[in-house]
Amino acid sequence: MDIFNNLTEIRGIIYMSLFVSISSTLIASLLGISLGIPAALKEFRLKKYLIRITNTLMSLPPVLMGLVTYLLLSRNGPLGSLRLLFTPTAMILAQTLLIFPIIFGLVMSSISKSGSEIKRNCLSLGANNMDIIMTILKESRAQILTSVTAGYGRAISEVGAVMMVGGNIKGYTRVMTTYIALETGKGNFSNAIIIGVILLLISFVINFILLKLQGSDVS
Amino acid sequence: MKVFVHKAVKKYNNNIVLSIDNLNLEDGKIYAVIGLNGSGKTTLMESIAGLKDLSSGIIKYNNLNLENVKNDISIMLQSNYLFNGSVLSNIICGLKFRKYKEAEIKKRLAKYLSIFNIQELLNKDSKKLSGGEQEKVCLLRSAILETNLTIFDEPTSSMDIESTLKAEELIKNMADGHRTVVVITHDIYQAKRIADEVIFMDSGKVIEIGKKEDIFNNPKHNLIKAILNI
Repeated sequence: MDIFNNLTEIRGIIYMSLFVSISSTLIASLLGISLGIPAALKEFRLKKYLIRITNTLMSLPPVLMGLVTYLLLSRNGPLGSLRLLFTPTAMILAQTLLIFPIIFGLVMSSISKSGSEIKRNCLSLGANNMDIIMTILKESRAQILTSVTAGYGRAISEVGAVMMVGGNIKGYTRVMTTYIALETGKGNFSNAIIIGVILLLISFVINFILLKLQGSDVS
Repeated sequence: MKVFVHKAVKKYNNNIVLSIDNLNLEDGKIYAVIGLNGSGKTTLMESIAGLKDLSSGIIKYNNLNLENVKNDISIMLQSNYLFNGSVLSNIICGLKFRKYKEAEIKKRLAKYLSIFNIQELLNKDSKKLSGGEQEKVCLLRSAILETNLTIFDEPTSSMDIESTLKAEELIKNMADGHRTVVVITHDIYQAKRIADEVIFMDSGKVIEIGKKEDIFNNPKHNLIKAILNI
């Protein structure tokens, strides 16, 4: 099979897939968790609208996010001067924008349920703001990691946005999902299936690690 | 700790749930707060503890604002929520929040752990405790802080009678010199056993306050007479 004759290319594709999806998950998690916790704990006037917008963005089609990122980064777009289109950075940006609402929304939803009780108990014992945040992170570890896992799952399996802003350039921006799409289009089903299985195995391993990190809180 | 509550009002969605004209808590006394469900007991005490903001009114602590005395107030909440981790980590978490040194933490543990004989539970997962055990841990976690104002919201509602009496002994010993203790309870007999003064609440207002002998033997308000069956 062709695929075994070109292991260097396959390794590069796997590396790029992991690099893009893990980077975007890390950035989106950092933003989603640090903004989701205060948003869950604070009561403010436009909160219900924020929740509705977030819920809408959680189910946003990846190609639409790809289009938005494309327009942002295209030569005449507001960020065109950065010349990021068709680079891994553009792919990370698109995926970050795509999965940030998922992580933010799920963190906000789970912390809304338990966070205020944890905060009240911390305050009743004399905790300062940093103690409260650290305690909420510790107490809600399982829910937060579930949110991160959901975001990562979306990132690693996404094809539309990375195809649009990455361009599926061989040896540069080609990732496993765009490779599968390309090979399927060419009729090379065996190559597509092999990469599909590898993608599935990688997803399984990373999900396994994330679930392990959730520890005994998950039954 | 002396506490002075003046013109305190708390509203939820324009409904007044608390309306206190004047309330004074004195040094070194144990107060029992009694009232029907929804009478505003918890709202008042959580406002005094700084967990709830008043819609209007003032609360002073030894003539100072909350910010100046925050570390001198603790409250055991009704929910009996325990953090993930061992029983020991839960009992000392308040001391850790307040940055107590290890030597002082050990000293206080030695003093308080013997009360309920829960040494064998110390390494147990806090989420695997029974309701009564959870309540004991929550009570110890507040008591061990030895604050000048300690509030207990239904501290023994899940405990058996033996543990209840031990808890009451602990609470009685807590009020000395400058330390004030407030206990919210539905148990009239408990109020009689531990309190120096009784605060009766109804519909967000204090309807009667005074020495327990006066309140229980000669109540003025009809609702209290009905509750006490007089």
